[in-house]
Amino acid sequence: MTSTSEKTVPGAVGTAGGGPKTGRGRPVRHRDHAVPHWLFVVPALVVYSIVVLCPSLAGVMYAFTDWSGIGGFSFTGTENFRTLFDDGRALESVTNTLLLTIAVVVVQNGIGLLLALGVHTGIKSRALLRLIFFAPAVVSPVMVAILWKYVYNPENGAGLNGLLGAVGLGSLRQDWLGDPSLALWSVAAMVVWQYAGYSMVVFLAGLQGVPAELHEAARIDGAGSWQRFRYVTWPLLAPALTINLMLSTIGGLKLFDQVYAATNGGPGTSSETLSTVLYKEAFVYGKFGYSTAVALVLALFVAAVSLVQLRYLRAREVTA
Amino acid sequence: MSTSTTRGPAAPGRGRRRPRYGRYVLELVMIAVAVVFLFPVYALITLAMKDPRQISESPLALPSPPTFGNFGDAWSSASLGPALVNSTVITTVSLLLLIVIGSTGAYYLARCARGLGYGLYILFLLGIVLPFQLGMIPLYRLVDDLGWLGTYQGMVLFYTGIQLPFTVFLYTGFIRALPPDYAQAALIDGCNHRQAFTRIVFPLLRPITGTVVILNAVFIWNDFFTPLLYLGGSDKETVPVGIFAFVGQYVSDYGLVFAGLVLAALPILIVFVVLQRYVIKGFAGGLKG
Amino acid sequence: MTTGSRFRPDRSTVGRRGFLRIGGGVAALAALPPALTACSDSGGGSGKLRVVGVADQQKPIEELVALYRKSRPGDEFATSFAPTDQVQTVVRTQLAGGNAPDVHVLYPGSGSAMSMVELAKAGLLADLSAQPWAREVPANFHPAYQHDGKTYLYSAGSSVIGAIHNKKAFARAGVEPPKTWSELLDVCAKLKAKGTIPIALGTQTPWVTQLITYALVPNAVYAKNPGFDAEMASGKAHFRGSGWADAMGKYQELQRRGFFNENPNGTTYEQQTSMVASGRAAMAVQVSAVLANFRQAARNPDDLGMFPFPGGDDAGQLWIPAGIVVGLGVSARSRKSAAAKEFIEFLGKQENVDRWAQSVAAIPFKRGASTKTDPVLDGFLPLIDDNRAVPFMDQSWPNAEVQPAHFAAVQNLLAGKTDVDGALGQMDEAYGKKS
Repeated sequence: MTSTSEKTVPGAVGTAGGGPKTGRGRPVRHRDHAVPHWLFVVPALVVYSIVVLCPSLAGVMYAFTDWSGIGGFSFTGTENFRTLFDDGRALESVTNTLLLTIAVVVVQNGIGLLLALGVHTGIKSRALLRLIFFAPAVVSPVMVAILWKYVYNPENGAGLNGLLGAVGLGSLRQDWLGDPSLALWSVAAMVVWQYAGYSMVVFLAGLQGVPAELHEAARIDGAGSWQRFRYVTWPLLAPALTINLMLSTIGGLKLFDQVYAATNGGPGTSSETLSTVLYKEAFVYGKFGYSTAVALVLALFVAAVSLVQLRYLRAREVTA
Repeated sequence: MSTSTTRGPAAPGRGRRRPRYGRYVLELVMIAVAVVFLFPVYALITLAMKDPRQISESPLALPSPPTFGNFGDAWSSASLGPALVNSTVITTVSLLLLIVIGSTGAYYLARCARGLGYGLYILFLLGIVLPFQLGMIPLYRLVDDLGWLGTYQGMVLFYTGIQLPFTVFLYTGFIRALPPDYAQAALIDGCNHRQAFTRIVFPLLRPITGTVVILNAVFIWNDFFTPLLYLGGSDKETVPVGIFAFVGQYVSDYGLVFAGLVLAALPILIVFVVLQRYVIKGFAGGLKG
Repeated sequence: MTTGSRFRPDRSTVGRRGFLRIGGGVAALAALPPALTACSDSGGGSGKLRVVGVADQQKPIEELVALYRKSRPGDEFATSFAPTDQVQTVVRTQLAGGNAPDVHVLYPGSGSAMSMVELAKAGLLADLSAQPWAREVPANFHPAYQHDGKTYLYSAGSSVIGAIHNKKAFARAGVEPPKTWSELLDVCAKLKAKGTIPIALGTQTPWVTQLITYALVPNAVYAKNPGFDAEMASGKAHFRGSGWADAMGKYQELQRRGFFNENPNGTTYEQQTSMVASGRAAMAVQVSAVLANFRQAARNPDDLGMFPFPGGDDAGQLWIPAGIVVGLGVSARSRKSAAAKEFIEFLGKQENVDRWAQSVAAIPFKRGASTKTDPVLDGFLPLIDDNRAVPFMDQSWPNAEVQPAHFAAVQNLLAGKTDVDGALGQMDEAYGKKS
């Protein structure tokens, strides 16, 4: 894989260290310059610590208490964590969370990539199309869910069902949010609709970093459009792909607003995810301490998944 | 640099050597996809132009007659005028801080990709992973203690901090893909780190800066919970707080709500269109630098 | 992996030094906040009375605040309203952060995270017992307003659950509002024969799931055993095997006979409203607070009526659910508690209780000569005066998990995923959890 792409793309601009002027023989003195001064990262670290790290660390304490969220509390050691592993509701929601995440990651990024490739061409309507594809991402997720309940109206003549009937696909009509085996997927479709344009924007930023000269060169070398995509565009899209996959995975695992506003975890508990369980424990059932324990476990889980993903994707970026 | 001097995206299929019909087919396919994407948008706009009775009778039919009164009503009853000012101030200042702090921080992390640099990078990444409930109450106490509830600076601090991991993540990914040679050359030519960054590296980051701006803007502009928590009842309330006040459990006027939503979405869409142009132009100019 | 490795030597030295300094700075900043606490004023520093309510309270509160300020223009208010879930989350966070609004939304009785009992137990509410209106709350409403004999909740009155019906749809099928359960089944059958959906049901919206059970339980449980709550609390009774099974069975029977719209679990409250307002459906079991929403959706508001949903077969001994509506409480730690209490006292005057009640179609907890209730509620008043009204069941539940368990149980029941015993078992399990 590596060798082919290097052949087609001499001196690819996209990968660090692949540029023409770098070389192992460079004097040490110059290498010192390559690393920016550590002061560059200080402002970010300070703000990040004040707003995210320190409060979260302080918040971790609640995981070891029986705090209801108001009033006093006492420390209960690891009881919350022990409860968690007997909590059928929380464990059930893990499956839903994973299914939802996989669906969203695969479909959203697949569509996002195709959209980006489609609008990153000479077609006349590209500016308008970009706007249309991105527009859903601009609406607040809770409102999107409220809106989609009109689309998912199960009555025959209404919403999506009405549309399906009108174009002769009446047999595909569904009880989108009311069928327990379908509700989760209906939410996933809504999320994909909203964020495919979001992925598209990140892919576009990557595509815009692919110099046209490379395509020209490849074309002159006789490469077809699939080959140009495979060996020119795709390797250079690696950073964008890393970002998109990571963001949609984390976003999928933490997805809350859309699920809560669209189904509230229902019908029954069929679309409950870890985030909705966590929210309900904290603010509906008044078990803040326990919900913090759920949040911690969720965070560890998401962190583990994303670290593995990051390692793989970064390694891939270098070799691609 | 012959092709990239054109204003359009520098990409394959600009049609010189390619059979033309291929482009038309692609265009037709893309338009068909767009129509599918537009169905919920159509729903949003038709709902925004109906009164409660019309919504009840035929929610998604074309409005007949269309009522534009919802837009005026939403503007006045949700105080959208002052809310737009508040949202704009909070979003703009947060974005500026995010760009400055985020890009410089990411520059260090990207160029120092092992050991401490990698550790810090993972530490920032943790910020995307952490559920926000975890730090919510301590952070609320902090902002309260600072006396910053009901103020712009409280919200700006919150958004800058909460979106920083995401911003650093986006920037780091793209800076790592930039060859370090340009900056190195500048350093050898006698620039200091700050100059090398502002003159050489940052201009090269235009495409991703555009992405950082638009994606953060969308989040900050739409965020509802924190403004309600920090600003509720003050004269600094943002657009979503104004609109959501009309979503009742028992009684709501969704025509009004969706009209407000359409008005709220317009500024962000305009920013997006402007940025797309800037970003594309920026690319062509960037590589030459 | 050629990339980056050449940066190794310098990075580690610069980095480690930098990290220590950064670490020190962060530690110093983290220590800063407590030091600032002493000299800062919470609450955004304004001299306004902060009132936070749910969106449904916006109309009455804004109207009454405007009225209040006519006589005292110097008193300024900072009001904010938002959807129920979000307000609940925000106010709980503010309570936890020790910065509660002076006056905030409060749910009657117990059984939810923002309920009067829950907050009173935590010492977060100011005692309103000394206010004149508090002494006029009828005894059967005391559990909703009071905890340990002290009044903490202000609420304008009660809303009832019954059937909101479309008179034209009834006329088309030649039927009258039924007075007994068997009449109801008969009426539904006739409506169905005319092609009208007899009962619109929108259980996609969680709170709608509970309304039919609530409408049936007073007859099935409390008419026979007024001490049921106490038996539940002592563990002598359970949902399973009680009158609740009868009520759930009737719920299921209505579905089995095809008296609901198709796919109730996919139908929202808004779609339910639309079905009845347009006459596609003849009625919906609903709480009177939604009347304004049904009316604004209808071509002619007078097409809509409301009658007690007959859960039993003795027309003269019908029981109904009537729950105190969501109200307000005063924060125990409010720095403007005097001003806040004065405002609540103003709300407690008969004419203002009437105003609030009227705007949410509730029945005032006390009625004066000038009190006008919504005419469609006339059929309910005799039952309330005859003490045949039971508070909404959740208001006496011991923790906030039973109500969501009820929602899920009903959805599962309608989806055919469980039976009556299974559904009630889910609720019993939730009831047994400590609060």
